[in-house]
Amino acid sequence: MKTKKSSLRWSVLIVLSLAAVVPTVVVGSLAISRARHDVEDEVQRGALAHIRALGAALDGTLQDARRTVDFAASQWADASGDRRSTQLLARRLRRDLTIVKTLSILSPEGALVSGDPIPGGFDIGSHSFGGYIGDAVFEKGHPEIHMVVQARGRTGELMGVFVATLDLAFVHDVIAAARLGPGAQVIVFDGRGVPVATSDPTGISATALSGDPVVDRALSSTVEGTLSQNGWVSAYRNLSSYQSLRGVRWAIIHRQPEAKAYALARRTTRDTLTIGIIALAIALALGAYFARRLTRPLADLARRADLIAAGMTPDEPPVKGPGEIGTLARSVDEMAKRIAERAELTSALARGDRLASVGVMSAQVAHEINNPLTTVLGYAKLMLEDKPADHPDRGALELIADEAERMKKIIGTLLEYSRAPRLSEPAFGSGASAGTSRPSVVIEHVGRLVLPQLKKVRAAFQTEVTTEVLISIEASQLQQVLVNLVQNAAQAFTHGGTIKVTAKAMPGGIATLITVSDDGPGIPVEARVKVFDPFYTTKAPGTGTGLGLAVCKHLVATAGGSIELVDGPNGRGVEFRVVIPNIA
Amino acid sequence: MRCLALAAAVAACGSPPAPSSSHAIRFLHTFNPRETELFNTTIAERGLVVDASLVPFARGHQVITELLRGGKDCPDLIRIDATWLPGLVAAHLLRSPPENLANAGWSPIAKELSLAEGALWAVPQSIDGLVVVRLNGTPPVGPSVAELTGAAARAQLCGLAHPLGVRVDGYWMVPWLRAEGVELEPTQVESDGAVRALREFSSLFGSLAATPPSAGGEAPDELRRWNAHELAYWVTGPWQLADLRDRDQIEVSELAHAPRGGQLLVVPDCAPQPAAGWRLAQELTSEPVSLIFSDAFATIPTLEAAQGHATTLVQHTLAALAHAKRLPHTVVTPLLFDDLNPAVAAVIAGDATPEEAIAGVRRGWRRLEATK
Repeated sequence: MKTKKSSLRWSVLIVLSLAAVVPTVVVGSLAISRARHDVEDEVQRGALAHIRALGAALDGTLQDARRTVDFAASQWADASGDRRSTQLLARRLRRDLTIVKTLSILSPEGALVSGDPIPGGFDIGSHSFGGYIGDAVFEKGHPEIHMVVQARGRTGELMGVFVATLDLAFVHDVIAAARLGPGAQVIVFDGRGVPVATSDPTGISATALSGDPVVDRALSSTVEGTLSQNGWVSAYRNLSSYQSLRGVRWAIIHRQPEAKAYALARRTTRDTLTIGIIALAIALALGAYFARRLTRPLADLARRADLIAAGMTPDEPPVKGPGEIGTLARSVDEMAKRIAERAELTSALARGDRLASVGVMSAQVAHEINNPLTTVLGYAKLMLEDKPADHPDRGALELIADEAERMKKIIGTLLEYSRAPRLSEPAFGSGASAGTSRPSVVIEHVGRLVLPQLKKVRAAFQTEVTTEVLISIEASQLQQVLVNLVQNAAQAFTHGGTIKVTAKAMPGGIATLITVSDDGPGIPVEARVKVFDPFYTTKAPGTGTGLGLAVCKHLVATAGGSIELVDGPNGRGVEFRVVIPNIA
Repeated sequence: MRCLALAAAVAACGSPPAPSSSHAIRFLHTFNPRETELFNTTIAERGLVVDASLVPFARGHQVITELLRGGKDCPDLIRIDATWLPGLVAAHLLRSPPENLANAGWSPIAKELSLAEGALWAVPQSIDGLVVVRLNGTPPVGPSVAELTGAAARAQLCGLAHPLGVRVDGYWMVPWLRAEGVELEPTQVESDGAVRALREFSSLFGSLAATPPSAGGEAPDELRRWNAHELAYWVTGPWQLADLRDRDQIEVSELAHAPRGGQLLVVPDCAPQPAAGWRLAQELTSEPVSLIFSDAFATIPTLEAAQGHATTLVQHTLAALAHAKRLPHTVVTPLLFDDLNPAVAAVIAGDATPEEAIAGVRRGWRRLEATK
């Protein structure tokens, strides 16, 4: 049994734990995964936004330069200016465009017209839709680019080509001004993968980064994207989509060590896990507490049931608990009470059997005694008839006759006690058949029978019947029991009183409780245990046989019921409680 | 144990080597952003390891020519415009395709694009050219430019302010040049027909066609006007059809003298892995892959078998290009637009007369002829 109780507690604990653990783990895992994913997405979006902004800044600067040179070139083409005007224009462009390091003006055939010399074989922009920005070149380790702008006149005719060398230091300045995250790098590289500018001042070299998966991805894509590889989180953007850089194969990447980029995500994960574990532990502890609290009344109840099953009466107070547990406890107590009543009934029956045996023997004895006693009484009366009133024997003869009379009365009662139930006796009361009776009808009849006697002792008679069921006792026997009990109560009155007879259904509806109570002097406690014993009486000698209550108990027990004596209502008098099984 | 070792050895001999970045096929392409993404996805699904690098179309001819002439970091396969082929062939920078690819069942139009100096030098990847697009509720139009402008004028009377869609570009002017008997060749620009063609073409803008937006904004502006139903007849190419609303309600018809072109796949002579390059070319032009691109971007496949399985829109576009004529297959053809485009823009902007502009073009093309 102990194991079962423990199992119940463990079962409850496991159910509560599962109820706490499973949702916590599932929801927690989803939340952590989602939060981590969101934070990582934010990191990547942030990196992309960063390089978009840097690309836009780069584009803006180059576009300004291109437009300025383009405007100057178209003006120059239409002016067909002299050498002095051309030199002045070149000087002003270099001065106003700070990123222009050198400027050369070439003829449509590629011959130098004005400005700085350019390397031989330089493409002047054929099939480049008016010009282009070339790949990076490194002049003494310093990155530069050539911007080629065709100088077309009013009619669209090619009049010359402007070639500007742009100092890419401004790209580095743009990147350096950016506030990068811990460990983050930004690199701008040309179509060959050669870094044009980097946030790491020591990072610029003419060595191509081709082979780096991010660089390859950036150059092969026309858009932007992210890549997590080799412990780095990288965002890349191909810059060919920018207006000024259209036709340029440049790309920009932002990369950061994963550990630093996702530090927030990891910290969030760790904190969430910690909080989750603590919450889970608290939930489990609370679960254990509530499991114990929930199963304790059940354990107490089980222990109580064990005692009841063992035939013992529990010493502990009844188990109390909320809801269904309380109901169960009350049901168990009710069941225990019924079992006790059954046991008492069974005991009473056994006792009744014994008494019946005594009664049969007594009847036989009485029968045997009755005949000689009749003879004794007869002869005593005959002898009295022969004796004059002053005869000296007359006193003794009268004593013999009186005592013989009294003995006959006792024997008569004994014979009545031992008489078997008269099954043929008609039942009264609507619906009652042989062996059954309806308490309401019998009680009313008893009231009429005892009324004259009660008047003599100024006793009031009250009834309260709340049941109309049939019970398993002959109506005449129930009447005998109730008359006996009422008469006993009336005889106890010295200055009147109230006798009340009630009948009501017992809980469960299997029996009916009939009570006869009075507010008389009551019965001493020491006498209560004997009142149902034959020949025990508290009346004056010679006024009672001591068989009335014994007969009552016999009749009730024969009907399968029980009778007990308790204190009267409000602590005054006594109350006889008769329980008779209902007819099923 | 010996059996296991033998099995392992057989397996090692029989299976192809695992792809590594060092053996990746180097591919230079001119795809637009969406095409690039589809290419990357499609090729990844087929297990090919490709190191692809974008060459923006605007500089593609120049960059590729420089790269192949330099011979350093040479790619295994290049996607080029069909007009670039003669120049690359003339400079002896390409390999001819293997026999299985040369006889792979290309449509005649596609095969024609890949020919230079009488031989096949490329694998055709897609066919394009100019067609007239209209919604199926719009009255049909005849093929000639005169019929087109006449239909546009009638549409204008019905309430459309600028019902004709054409672009300020020498390529779009080719039908008008050819209608005047002028081919896109340096010598032919000397005729008066070129001036008449430019006058006719430029007169469309501000009347039947809307005044063009600033350079670079033409394509999105055209698309917006089409989707807003402001255009009745739109001269455009397959590259634009995928972006159109109501694709199932589009009618495509022929434009007389329209130029026809396409995109080709070539393997340079300096390719370190030419066989791998041709393998990628074969994959890209295969029926399944070309149909993937065709479904997504309305590009016209080059294999006859694939053309038969293309969408109705693509098949109609191909039919509309049946009588189109490819641009002259000469070295200078792609360079001619350098001078023609600014001239067209100058006339449409009102900065020059057609005579002045054509004179400038004439001088520029003579210069090209001189340096050829």
